[in-house]
Order: sequence, then structure tokens, then C-alpha cells
Amino acid sequence: MTGLEISAIHARFGRHEVLRGVDLAVAPGETLVLFGPSGAGKTVLLRAIAGLEPGALGQVVIDGQDVSARGPEARNIGMAFQNFALYPHMSARDNIASPLVARGLPADEIATRVVEIAQLLRIGHVLSHPPRALSNGQKQRTALARALVGRPRVLLLDDPLRNVDAKLRYEMRLELPRLLRESQAATLYVTQDYREAMALGDRVAVLRAGRIEQCDASETVYDWPATAAVARLFGDPPVNLLACRPVADPAGLRAEAAGFRLVLDASAEAAGKACLLGLRPETLSLAAAGPDAARLEVIATTPLHERLVVLLRAGDGTEIVASLLGAAPAPGAHVHVAADAAAALLFDAASGARIPARRVMAGIAA
Amino acid sequence: MSLVLDHVSKVYGRGAIAVRAVQDMSLAMEAGEIVALLGSSGCGKTSTLRMIAGFESVTEGAITLAGRRIDALEPAGRGVAMAFEGYALYPPLTVAENIGFGLARRKGRGEVDRRVRAIAELLDIGDLLERRPSRLSGGQQQRASLARALAREADLYLLDEPMGQLEPQLRAILRGRVKALIKERHLTAVLVTHDQTEANAMADRIAVMEGGVLQQFASPDALRDHPENLFVATFIGEPPMNVLTVERCGDGVALGGAAAVAFAGLALPPGQRVVLGIRPHRLRLGEGALAGTIVSNQWLGDQAHVVIAFADQLLVAVSHHKVAVRVEEKIAFGFAPEDAHFFDAATGAALRHGGLGR
Repeated sequence: MTGLEISAIHARFGRHEVLRGVDLAVAPGETLVLFGPSGAGKTVLLRAIAGLEPGALGQVVIDGQDVSARGPEARNIGMAFQNFALYPHMSARDNIASPLVARGLPADEIATRVVEIAQLLRIGHVLSHPPRALSNGQKQRTALARALVGRPRVLLLDDPLRNVDAKLRYEMRLELPRLLRESQAATLYVTQDYREAMALGDRVAVLRAGRIEQCDASETVYDWPATAAVARLFGDPPVNLLACRPVADPAGLRAEAAGFRLVLDASAEAAGKACLLGLRPETLSLAAAGPDAARLEVIATTPLHERLVVLLRAGDGTEIVASLLGAAPAPGAHVHVAADAAAALLFDAASGARIPARRVMAGIAA
Repeated sequence: MSLVLDHVSKVYGRGAIAVRAVQDMSLAMEAGEIVALLGSSGCGKTSTLRMIAGFESVTEGAITLAGRRIDALEPAGRGVAMAFEGYALYPPLTVAENIGFGLARRKGRGEVDRRVRAIAELLDIGDLLERRPSRLSGGQQQRASLARALAREADLYLLDEPMGQLEPQLRAILRGRVKALIKERHLTAVLVTHDQTEANAMADRIAVMEGGVLQQFASPDALRDHPENLFVATFIGEPPMNVLTVERCGDGVALGGAAAVAFAGLALPPGQRVVLGIRPHRLRLGEGALAGTIVSNQWLGDQAHVVIAFADQLLVAVSHHKVAVRVEEKIAFGFAPEDAHFFDAATGAALRHGGLGR
């Protein structure tokens, strides 16, 4: 198989097991985002793939060839980092050319390829500048150009947009997918920003405590997270997780928490068990009073990107965050809030695993 | 009026190497208001904060707080409570002792304990009260420092990036709790941040700074709908405002050569180059006189970002719902005249917002 395949990657620092058996496969032209909280082992995994982590165990296969025993320079990998890591004494041009110079390519070919990639990344006009004369955005583009210029089979990008401002980050988010697709490299892209993960990843692998907890299309990870922990990592504001003990219902399970009452299409095996009801803030809405709507007090509203994030409090003190469209309810007011049952998630409280859906035949429910 | 900055400037160095970090800044805050100083690094917001706190002298101008001129006073005499980086917690004291530090003298022991516990629980550090600062994570230290400032009684609360290191899972709830507390106690707070989501979430009004100059001081809604210049227009808003350089054509403007959009009564001199801005949330997909090609369609869980190639440029449209278009497809799109913003291409000054003159 072509592309990148890694299996059973382990790494430990002293007694601390950083990676505990990681398997992944990335096809040429595909971008797999490696997402996880800080300390999850993302950077260590990239370094292990690049051959920069001597203590790491496991197999790295690139285009069908096992490169596990090769040094970093013999793996045909391009890398870019969040701190840019440009050579300060060299011009942007020489920085970009450095992987080709190291390979001993003829000077005229190097010159052509550097100009080509620089134009693609729109830094052709600053090639003679040293890094200190470049803006952060230009530094990042220079670092990306250096990673891409050698036409690597595998591209490892470690949070490359972390240190650029919001405007530029959006620009790069728009440009990168096309650029990466056209490079035909198998790309592993690390980020801590779930929106960036969803925007750039053909698929997203969620790394937590040294293991891949879920690897799926980004929409699947968001809509159907494998665990409560994954659910909490995706979404801003994050999912509300409410303790509940669901009971059997003809249509699935009935769960009640903080004044919400929902009938969920979920496996009846969870009936009577301690569970967490996951309600995403954007699936809550203001509603008329009714037996299924929760009556909540408005504590504060904090606007976010054309939405209103509202902190609400139930009679039992439980805090709920809703993300609403439209007019802001006033702090101190009591409102009725309904949850979209079709988007509600249910997790086993002990294991954290999501309780799967149970498809109910139409007509069975009364 | 609570805090008033009256023509305040800060100059570092002198003569040929003088740097004007803050230039002729004036703003007035109401008591009970939350104001954010927003800008990227080097914009002058931190120098402004340090002048208000008293860590930096004022080169020109005056600062008054609750009717008292404070710019010549020692920091401790200004009636300002602070939470910021480099204004560290006292290492030998526990978190509880740090938070209660300024309170101990005047209040009874029981009252101090009660207040310390209440503010610590609000900031989710109630179980860390007996720890020393060195045993806290960066985010926990930040919350302890914020708790110490909010526990005090002061005329003004200066909060520098108070929630920058907070894990995202806590941010929404803590922002809400802190905002509710500030409003309930009718505190006056200045929040300094580079993060516009924080400024928008917390502030009643935002002072946008760039290059040492106050660009605009207005409510979040006014910054979105009536930005005074192109810098503010493109700095505020995520994703940023779409901008196109256009020329007058008949009673409208020409977009990308082919398409012309009519604007009744658009009073532009013929041939003047202006910048047209449209917010991503205001682009309408599937209807309108313009046509482009879909470059990407990204669903981010609660919103879709659709990128359209149009007139050698990329435009971003945001929808709150999934959009059924595929990459490479042609799409019709448009916008309502009232959602258009016009700026002078040379100076960046706003010429007009929406269908009618402002």
C-alpha cells in the first residue's frame, strides 16, 4: 500500500508511557488530523515517525517500505513546526532550498523548484529576506515551503498555525486543503484546535493518554463521539454532560436531568445504569413551558461569533451552557429550554463509552 | 464616570529613538462597565494597562478614577485591584492566604474565610485552597490570581488576559460566572486581551487598539455593524470580513469586472477605488446575482464555512446549517445592500455602512 502506515508505536520517558500502541494509516493526498489535549503524545508520535525519537518502538512503513531502521534524512519526510524553526542566518530562499541542497540536486533545478513553491505560497517577493525580516505569516509560509519543496511522500505538520494571528490562520485554513491535496503526500497534521481539525482533516484521529480513542471522519467524531472525553474535546462551548439514570421506554430510553426529559433512541441495555446525558449547547433552544422543557435561570450571556452563549442554572444548581441564535434573554430571568432529542448523546458513566443507538421500527412507539 | 483617560500618551526613550507606544488616547468608562482593551502584541494595550496600574509613568495626559486624578499616585494608592501575568502569587503563602491577603486587616477572620471560599468555588479552585502556588498548573495560578483580585474591594479591576490559559472546557462556564459576579457587584473592570472572542464574550464596550492608537471604542454590535475603518472591520469578526476592491459603475459598483451590483444613491466619485466589505455570516448562498465556484465546504459541528472562488479571490460564507454544495460546483450567491460596507481604498476610513448613508 502507498502512503504512510504505522503500527504498534510505543514510547516511554522513564516510567511514563507516552505512546501505548498507536496504529494509523494515511493515504497519499489525504490529511489525517492528529488531535488531542496537550500532553497526549502528539508531538512525540510525529517525532517517532520522523525517526527523531530513538527510544520509540514500532513499525513505520512509507509507500510499502519499512523505514523503521532508517535515519530521519532517509525517510523522505517533510516537516513544519509551530515555532517555524527557520535557520536565522539564511535567507528565506536558502531556508526553502536546504532539503534539496542536502540531497545534492543541481543548482538550477533547486532554483526552479524554490521559486515554484514560493509562488504557490505567495512568498516569492520575500525570498531574499532573512527570517527576522519576515512577518509571522511569511515565516510560516517559508517553513511550509521548505517542508513541501522536496516533494516528500509524507508530510508531518506540528500545529503550524498556532503562532499566526487569526486573520492569517483563516487564510491558511482556506489554502491548505488544496495545497496538501495537490502535494499528494500522506499528511499527518497536529492541532489542538477542534475547528482547525474539522476544517482541515479528511479524517481526525483523537489521541488521548497515548492511545487513539477514535479515528473517523470529522463530522462523525463531532456527531457520534466514541466516548464522553472525545465529546468534550469537540465543540465550543463544550457539550453539557449531565448525570442521569435512564429508564426503559417503548421508543428507547427515557432520561431526565436538570429538568430536561428526553426519549432517546438508545440501546435499552443502559436502562437503570448511571449515565451521562450529553447535550450540545447548540442543540438547546428557548421553548414554551411544557413537561419536557427545563425551567432554568439565566446567569449571564457571553456572545460568541454571532451566537449567544448563555450560562443557565437549574433549580438543583446544575449549570447548563446553551448556544442560541436570536435575542438575548436577560440575566436573572427564568426561561424554558428544550433539547433536540435526536442530537442528544448518552454515555456510560463508568466507562465513558457512548451508548449506541437502537433503531426503532416506526409504529412501535405509542 | 469611573475611569477616564484624557489625551494619554506614552513615549519610551527620547529624541531620535523615541517610541510612541500609546498616542493621545482618550476614553471614558461608566461605573459598573466592563471594557476590553483589544489588539495584537505591540498595539499599546499593555502600556495603557500599566499606566492605569501605576507601573509606568504617563508621558502626557491625565488619568482619573472615580473622580480622583491617579496618574501621579503610587500603585497601592490608586484603588485598583489587579490580576496579571508577572503580578505573581506570593510563593510562601497558600492559595487561600493569597486570595485573602488584601482582606485580612479590615475584615473579621470568619468573613475573610467566607469570601475566600466563595470566590475560589466560583473559579473552580475550591479544592486547591491549601496548596502553594508552585504546585498549581498555569491555568490554576491564573484563576488564583483572578480570585485574589476579585476578592478585593476596589474602584477598578484590571484583568490582563485573565482566562487565556484556561482549558477550553472550563472557559464558557467561568466566563459566564465571572461576568455575572462583576455585574451583580456592579464592579468596573478593564480586561486586556488579544483574543477577540474573550473581549466579545465579556465586555460591554471594546477599545480596539493598533499601532498605539485607539481605533474605535464601541459595543461589540457597533464594531460588527459600524466599523469606523478597514482595520477594525477586518480585525473584528471570525472568520474575518470578506473584502473586495471595487470601482463605481453606473449607480452601483463593479465586482470583478463582470458583475455589477446596484446601490441606490451610492454617492461615489466616478472611478474612485473603494473597498467593499461583507461579513461571512451575511453572504447568502444559492440566491443572488453573483456566481462563483465552491472551493471547500467545511462543517464545523455548529456552523458551515463555505469558500467560494470569485473574481480571483476567495470569499467565505458562514451558515448555521449544513450547506448541500460540493467542491468545484458553481453557486449563485449575493448579499443584501444593507449588509455592504464601503471603505476608502487609500485611507481605510469607512465611507458608508449598509444601503443608506450612516
